[in-house]
Amino acid sequence: MNSDRFDLGGGEPIITLRDVAKSYWREALEIPVLQGIDLEIPAGAYVALMGPSGSGKTTLLNLIAGIDRPTGGSLEVCGHELNGLDDDQLASWRNLHVGFIFQNYNLVPVLNAFENVELPLLLTGAGRGERRDRVEQALALVNLTDRMRNYPRQLSGGQEQRVAVARAIVTDPDLLVADEPTGALDAKNAEEVLALMERLNAELGKTIVMVTHDPKAAHHARHQIHLEKGVLDRTVEVNR
Amino acid sequence: MILGALLALPFLAYLGWLVWALVAYPIPLGYNLRSLWQRKLSSLSTAAAIALVVGIFVVVLSLAQGLSVAFVSSGRQDQALVLRPNARFELNSTVERDRMRILKVHPLLKRDSGGESMASAECVVVKLFPQWDGTDTSVTVRGLEPMGRTLRPQVQLVQGRWFRPGLSEVVVPRKMQRRFQGMELGRVLRMAGREWEIVGTFEGGGSSFESEVWSDVEDVMQAFRRDVYSVMLARLETPGRVEGFSQAIQADKRLQLEVVREADYFKELTKAGDPIKILGNLITLILTGAAIFAAMNTMYAAVAGRTKEIGTLRALGFRQREILASFQWEGIFLCLTGGLLGSGLALFANGIQTGTTSFDTFSDVSFAFTITPGLMAQGVAFSLIMGLLGGFLPAWRASRIPLTEAMKGG
Repeated sequence: MNSDRFDLGGGEPIITLRDVAKSYWREALEIPVLQGIDLEIPAGAYVALMGPSGSGKTTLLNLIAGIDRPTGGSLEVCGHELNGLDDDQLASWRNLHVGFIFQNYNLVPVLNAFENVELPLLLTGAGRGERRDRVEQALALVNLTDRMRNYPRQLSGGQEQRVAVARAIVTDPDLLVADEPTGALDAKNAEEVLALMERLNAELGKTIVMVTHDPKAAHHARHQIHLEKGVLDRTVEVNR
Repeated sequence: MILGALLALPFLAYLGWLVWALVAYPIPLGYNLRSLWQRKLSSLSTAAAIALVVGIFVVVLSLAQGLSVAFVSSGRQDQALVLRPNARFELNSTVERDRMRILKVHPLLKRDSGGESMASAECVVVKLFPQWDGTDTSVTVRGLEPMGRTLRPQVQLVQGRWFRPGLSEVVVPRKMQRRFQGMELGRVLRMAGREWEIVGTFEGGGSSFESEVWSDVEDVMQAFRRDVYSVMLARLETPGRVEGFSQAIQADKRLQLEVVREADYFKELTKAGDPIKILGNLITLILTGAAIFAAMNTMYAAVAGRTKEIGTLRALGFRQREILASFQWEGIFLCLTGGLLGSGLALFANGIQTGTTSFDTFSDVSFAFTITPGLMAQGVAFSLIMGLLGGFLPAWRASRIPLTEAMKGG
């Protein structure tokens, strides 16, 4: 094991990164974004990835979520070596293991709240009745049962983000990834969403990796990992 | 033919895959339909362009169909035309009187209940008549014997009476009255220096006889100074007897004439519609290119405007081929909407009378735009093809946007 590995302690790791690197190419010029990332995140952790713009935190989140592929090193997430999966396998893996929460909610505008939450379930082979039950449960969890037939344009920003959270948890994934989940919300709605995420972590045991600029948001996590110029800088355990 | 099949094969395979994807893939169709509706203006204007093209396509086909109905309903399988060899058409044919006498008593001809052979000696000429639009066009004038009417049961008198021999009388089709001046019952036509009274009006069940003025054969021959007939039309006992009759006529050295089954003769005449078809197809082809481009443009705009949405779907686990099928169906539905609209609009042309000049007979052929369910289905199928072609590249683009790029919104 690499001696510089960032290990958050706790139980069995759900995310293991070994010497992960990511570079982009602009014509012949290689632009390194992440270098030598060694990281273990245990199941049930709630981690905030922090750092200045361009430090590589969103890139790291994308690698962990199977959205992007590393140019070096290996990742094992939720028991799968991601380097070995082809695009289709990676898509199925994301559907089964990862829930996404985006800064701008990313709801499909022509689908109502129920249909938006149902989307990931359509890939699981669940029957209509089972899907309905699970969507209703997820929407109840985010306290939006009465809004399930509303379209995104009929919801406030906070409600939209709660629908997005319901969509993220409806397949009961092991891991939730959130990219600036409160970036587009006012303070009150941001607090509500963060409280909700905290509940998902504490009560349902979901592992959460969240990218944020906001120290207040980061304070809801149990650990903060700071990146600086594409390398892990330090981890901080949050005392709440 | 083989090349066509080879080209069609991947197309059909792709269509088959799409149909399968429609059932098996999880992206709901409602997503695409609502997305189209969300962009109402661009979707409807594209659908309107497709509707125009499909409408023109169906109307062009209906012209050919109308012409085909006119000729196909004219000829019978159990009747034969006897013409001069290589004349090909009645107008070019001549049959001398002595030969006609031999022909009319031929033992293979069917006889009516009175024992008379069912044959009509006929003389066909063309004459210019003025249309309501001010132009003149050539019309076939057919001189025939009374049996000639019996041989064409689809022709029915609807007004007045039939012409009588020796009185320079004519009957005209009702359809021609709508297109030509001076064709009303009781009016007088001037032909070959004589005045001919219109004593009756007939309908021909959509056949090409509705493009002809009819009179007595001897009156026509006399007026037009013809001492030979053009053709003989005769009925045989059965359709199968036509070949035997043909062989018998060919074998008779006195006659030196040719026999053509009446149905085949008229089938040959349907080629009169070829120039219309070629022109129509050319116009359709050009408009099709424009319509496919419009559909493609609309779908590219849809993909560009929904890049982040595509990224979200991919992040949630939808695969590239599912995105491809979804956007391809969206393009198809866009064009199908136009196709249904266009086919429906084409119905307004149904039954409208028009005419063309046959380059074979140098005379006018009246026919009606005939929009059949089959033609409308062809129009819809045509729009499906436009949807496939116009939607493919944008759908392919949608499915191939790198995921990280898509999630940023392109």
